[in-house]
Amino acid sequence: MNTYVCRFCRQPSDPSQPTCPLCGAPVDIKDSISDSGWVKQPPIRDLAKLQFGQSHVQIAGTMVPIAEFNLAQQEMVYFSHHVLLWADPATRMQNMSMRGGWRRMMAGMPLIMMEAHGPGHIALSDNHAGEVIALPLQHGQSIWVKEHRFLTATGNIRYDWTSNDVWYTTGDSDEQETHYPMGQFGDVFTATERPGLLLLHAPGNVFIRDLQPGQSMLIQPSSLIYRDATVRMHLHLEYPRNQGFSFWRSNFDYRNIFLRITGPGRVAVQSIFERPEDMEMIRNHSYATRHRW
Amino acid sequence: MTCGAPLDVRDKVSDSGWRETPRLRDMTEFKFSASTCQVEGELVPVAEIALAPQDGVYFEHHVLLWKDESVPLSSLKTAGGAKRSIGGMPHIVTVANGPGRIAFSRDAPGELVVLPLHPGMELDVREHAFLLASHSISYSFVRIKGLANMLHGGSGMFMDRFVTSNQPGLLMLHGNGNVMERTLRPGEKILIEPGGFLYKDSTVTMQTQQIQLKTGMLGHHNMYLAEMTGPGRVGIQSMYVHHGSGE
Repeated sequence: MNTYVCRFCRQPSDPSQPTCPLCGAPVDIKDSISDSGWVKQPPIRDLAKLQFGQSHVQIAGTMVPIAEFNLAQQEMVYFSHHVLLWADPATRMQNMSMRGGWRRMMAGMPLIMMEAHGPGHIALSDNHAGEVIALPLQHGQSIWVKEHRFLTATGNIRYDWTSNDVWYTTGDSDEQETHYPMGQFGDVFTATERPGLLLLHAPGNVFIRDLQPGQSMLIQPSSLIYRDATVRMHLHLEYPRNQGFSFWRSNFDYRNIFLRITGPGRVAVQSIFERPEDMEMIRNHSYATRHRW
Repeated sequence: MTCGAPLDVRDKVSDSGWRETPRLRDMTEFKFSASTCQVEGELVPVAEIALAPQDGVYFEHHVLLWKDESVPLSSLKTAGGAKRSIGGMPHIVTVANGPGRIAFSRDAPGELVVLPLHPGMELDVREHAFLLASHSISYSFVRIKGLANMLHGGSGMFMDRFVTSNQPGLLMLHGNGNVMERTLRPGEKILIEPGGFLYKDSTVTMQTQQIQLKTGMLGHHNMYLAEMTGPGRVGIQSMYVHHGSGE
């Protein structure tokens, strides 16, 4: 009986292979753990193959990796159309019906999802130097993913999207602006009927950790890649003590914006994140904890 | 002439036949004509050239990283200056002559592709992807045929064309992200995102293929892919600007 469980995808796997056949993580390396407990997600080795159903995907390249699919008959993947790199003319491509097109467009989310049906070959890549992350999902398992990190998923993974409810507003009446430091919406993926494979792309390096029940951390909102559905999150505002050098600025507009994540569950962050926005006084915000130094 | 590829590693070919461009090791050195090129760095590699007195290289002026004071610069005569400007291509291609040292790099993480060209070869390269070419290679540009190609294909109105006559030459490109190459058989086709196209043999033909994507009440989007037909080599880059969908 196979008792080996991959340290990265948490699925029963095969220790005799050089890489996990489900997520591509190298089997023969030691964990690389920082003193504070973040585990470096090892990059998928060049040309490693991941199996799903009767099909497989091969990850080629190391800087901006390409996911090359060999799709079997009756099998399908879907993806946002801008990540398509090349396709066999034989691969049947069509667009996927999506709900809430208007809201998606207003929120800057991809409006078009495409389906590629086997048999045939197709290749996808994002346009940032970084890593491809493979997340095999068991039947019924769900995961939350930050918007724009999604690369592709197998046909049996249901795609949904939900409001993050992490926001704040700045400016007066007519000038009022709502900010979403981690995007307005998040993607939620759930495997239905059978196990499935979800691929993400993260700029920079990727680090994961398991939060204990009640354990919380503060992170840059835009650095979060994915989290288990059990991990909760909300805004956290910190106001540094005024040391005199910025006496002309109000104590209220000189602040740091964090995301507080609270366990239990797994979270992943990326080492490249968006620069925080301008320092304007926050007028209103979603639920937040605060600290004034 | 050599290309600096490590000889002690096996070819990396994906199941669908794309071969990874050999990654040049840091400080790899190789020769062309009487000159030497050394490649430094791995994330955004630099090509450092030690030019012999009778040799020269040409390049787009903004890729010059540094040079010896003594290396003279001049401009290459290119036909169709106004058309090039309208097409967003550099109006001036600069020439550096030896003896002396000069170095080049582009401004994105990626790979250097070293393409030694034998006599009688023709290669088409997407605009703004060429880093340098040796003086023995003649340079021109081609207009991509077909209205759809020009307006929507995404690889611009022009491609650089490099041709060798009697002498071999060295061509270096910078590909964003990882670079893959595949050789198409006669009549074999592949669909490529236009932004991912990097280079091709001139024997490979390129046509635009339109895919209409309906978005319910919001109308439709058109997606354009480049259909490449063999025979010949095609090179692609994995990081690209998506040239989008016409709406």
